[in-house]
Amino acid sequence: MLRNVQANFRSRRFRNVAIAAIAILMIALIVYLLNQSLHHSSFFTGYLLMGSFLLLTAFGMRKRLSFLPKIGSAQLWMQVHIYVGLATFAMFGLHVGWRFPDGIFETMLTVLFLIVGTSGLYGLMITRTYPQRLTSVGGEAIFERIPLLRAQIATRVRALVVESAGTTDVLGRFYVNHLAEFFEKPRGWVYWMVPNGRLKRQLVSDIGELDRYLAEDQRDIGKELCRFVEQRDRLDYHHALQSRLKVWLFVHIGFTYSLLLFSLFHMVLAHAFSGGVG
Amino acid sequence: MTPKPSTIERPQRWDEPFDASMNDAMVERLLQREPFSSIDPKAFPKSIPLSGVLRNDCRVLDLQEGDIIVREGDYGNSAFLILDGTALVSLKKLPANLLGRNTRQKSGWLATLWKGLSQSNHAEVRDYNQKPADPDGTGTREDATGTRVFLHDIPRVLAPNQSIELCAGEVFGEISALTRSPRSATVVAKTKMQLLEIRWQGFRELLNRHHALRDHVERLYRENSLRTHLRESEVFAGVDHDVMERIAAATVFESFGDFRWNREFKSTQKKDIAERILSEELIAEEGQPANDLIMIRSGFARLSRCYGDGHQTIAYLGKGQAFGLREIAHNWNHHQQRPWTLSLRAIGYVDVLRIPAAIVSELILPTLPEDKQPPPLPAQTLEPNTQERRMVERAESPDTGLLEFLVEQRFINGTQAMVIDLDRCTRCDDCVRACASTHDNNSRFNRTGPIHDHYLFANACMHCLDPVCMIGCPTGAIGRDPETGNVTINDQTCIGCSTCANSCPYQNIRMVEINNPHGLPIIDSQTGAQIQKATKCDLCNDHDGGPACQQACPHDALFRIDLSNSEGI
Repeated sequence: MLRNVQANFRSRRFRNVAIAAIAILMIALIVYLLNQSLHHSSFFTGYLLMGSFLLLTAFGMRKRLSFLPKIGSAQLWMQVHIYVGLATFAMFGLHVGWRFPDGIFETMLTVLFLIVGTSGLYGLMITRTYPQRLTSVGGEAIFERIPLLRAQIATRVRALVVESAGTTDVLGRFYVNHLAEFFEKPRGWVYWMVPNGRLKRQLVSDIGELDRYLAEDQRDIGKELCRFVEQRDRLDYHHALQSRLKVWLFVHIGFTYSLLLFSLFHMVLAHAFSGGVG
Repeated sequence: MTPKPSTIERPQRWDEPFDASMNDAMVERLLQREPFSSIDPKAFPKSIPLSGVLRNDCRVLDLQEGDIIVREGDYGNSAFLILDGTALVSLKKLPANLLGRNTRQKSGWLATLWKGLSQSNHAEVRDYNQKPADPDGTGTREDATGTRVFLHDIPRVLAPNQSIELCAGEVFGEISALTRSPRSATVVAKTKMQLLEIRWQGFRELLNRHHALRDHVERLYRENSLRTHLRESEVFAGVDHDVMERIAAATVFESFGDFRWNREFKSTQKKDIAERILSEELIAEEGQPANDLIMIRSGFARLSRCYGDGHQTIAYLGKGQAFGLREIAHNWNHHQQRPWTLSLRAIGYVDVLRIPAAIVSELILPTLPEDKQPPPLPAQTLEPNTQERRMVERAESPDTGLLEFLVEQRFINGTQAMVIDLDRCTRCDDCVRACASTHDNNSRFNRTGPIHDHYLFANACMHCLDPVCMIGCPTGAIGRDPETGNVTINDQTCIGCSTCANSCPYQNIRMVEINNPHGLPIIDSQTGAQIQKATKCDLCNDHDGGPACQQACPHDALFRIDLSNSEGI
């Protein structure tokens, strides 16, 4: 059963892409026919877009109402969300006549649509790729517990360094100069943007080089410190990627509601100034 | 300083007696009465004397009229001998609420919406102001063994024509104790009673030494259960009634391993895997003559083969699956005497039925349709280390790493295990939130647990095939749903004793302290301590549309899977 899952995903993707493509072609055909018959196709595509926006926003409501029975599985909603979302790009193009609008309000509406759309595409990309990156680095951690786990590691490292202070102060000095900042503080925004293992490798290598200055029992403590550096680095990596997985959604949803409000206003204006066309 | 090995006294079988208050006088009194007076004490080895079995594997229970002794559907490790008084065995199915069980009450869509929108902001809220007073005709009382549930009005619940009486000297609960199957009927004390409760280890010793008792139990098993158990396998699908009688007559019943596997589970986890495999009791050994067809009646067994210096897990077998058919069929078809090609070992405990190869060849193989006939064994001429042999074996083997992981963690017990594919999971916790929103803002699982490859086996109740959590619940609060088979806890009748939580080897039952609707603790009026309740995943039993966690995962990362059958994986 576990092995059949990937094959099912492939066939589902093929089916959904085909349905979305057929739907877009049909809409394009209807728009063409409407234009040929001197009707205003903007109202048709506008209502389609509005309906799509509402359907796409309803996914967020479904997530909040998980306790309700028979409202469809979230994965079905997600598939609808992805393919309707992709189709809205084509619908939007048909609606605006494949040009960038020139009015201030329409420009704002377009920019909002592009922010929501591209953040959606970005979200699709990272939700499909980040899980594997998180899994391959190991050290699974629940996002909300990461600060606590970091604090626990920092406490244990401090205790280890104090324990090592008996024979020489080499590890103590190294801790003060290099490790304290790494363990006590969160990583900077540069790491958040581009999480990497450079600092970890450097610290592990530096601790290894201290070996020749250490007494026998301190070498074991050095190895233990290396393990903590790796553990902390894995937590930071999880924190960076998991927070991105949350932040993009915050942006996506935040702008979605703005887009919805602007679109409603646009719809009212379009009807108010239609002059009976449509 | 070099660490020194620790020295302790070797743990003995009776280090933990069933009831520490059993004394010499009680044992003497028991030895004077039937059936113990007719058992020859010399039949017992010196290390396990009859008096030792009575002292350490038995306890005397004093019951009041109406006390529920066993409930239909409960799992238990004990058989009971009536010393004094009369018991009633219910011939009808008693209502679930009378047995302390959870009853499913599915709400409508609007009621669910209202319930969901008016959820408490506090953790584990219970509103005892709304609890109906004693609605089910039962009450509870405390005795030396803990809490007992009793019926207020026996004749109303158990009319004479709906029950049978058991009197002093009669034994009940023995099949359930020996075969680890649910109790088939509810038994209630009709009068004041004295019972001898014998745990299965002691009962097995008594059976081995008391022929009349053994014959009685075996007769009961053959009369009531054996044919049903044989029919559970598709091997016997085409066998008619008369042939089945002959097969049943030749079948031998055997038990391996330890019923209390859940107690040893955590300590054996620390052992090396090779050592663990070797410590499992052998049911059949690779290379030995294939004399029997072995059917798994209950429990699990590991299929392994010698690989290098160790043993490699090939698969595991559960209830209704057979071992040795391929060898027997090959030998019958090719007139050879090929031995077993794999070993079969008890994981935890296993009950098996052995059917002699001669019977299988004569009565079963000729009736098996072509598509059910097992494939012939590979030719013996191939050297084990040739490329061809390796390719054949690899092609036939499933992912042994996954199988060994499932066996070592005992996840093979799970019929509804929650598995999260970490390569798809975005760690959004929508599953946890959905669970919480379906359970009044209290999540019933954690998104943590052992990981194999990219699969996380979450700490959520797996609704086990062998639900050890259901053994010993004093009020029957934990039980199987009769419709779905899911294991659920009745919050109303749970007394917070932690028996189920301590028994669960996977830590999937959590004890929680409960609060009133204002978020203030609900206190026991007698002890002053906060009341506890056992909580766990109930597969959203009251929720139409399946478990909310699975329904809420937008990335197809979370699924429930039956791990009790390795063929399905």
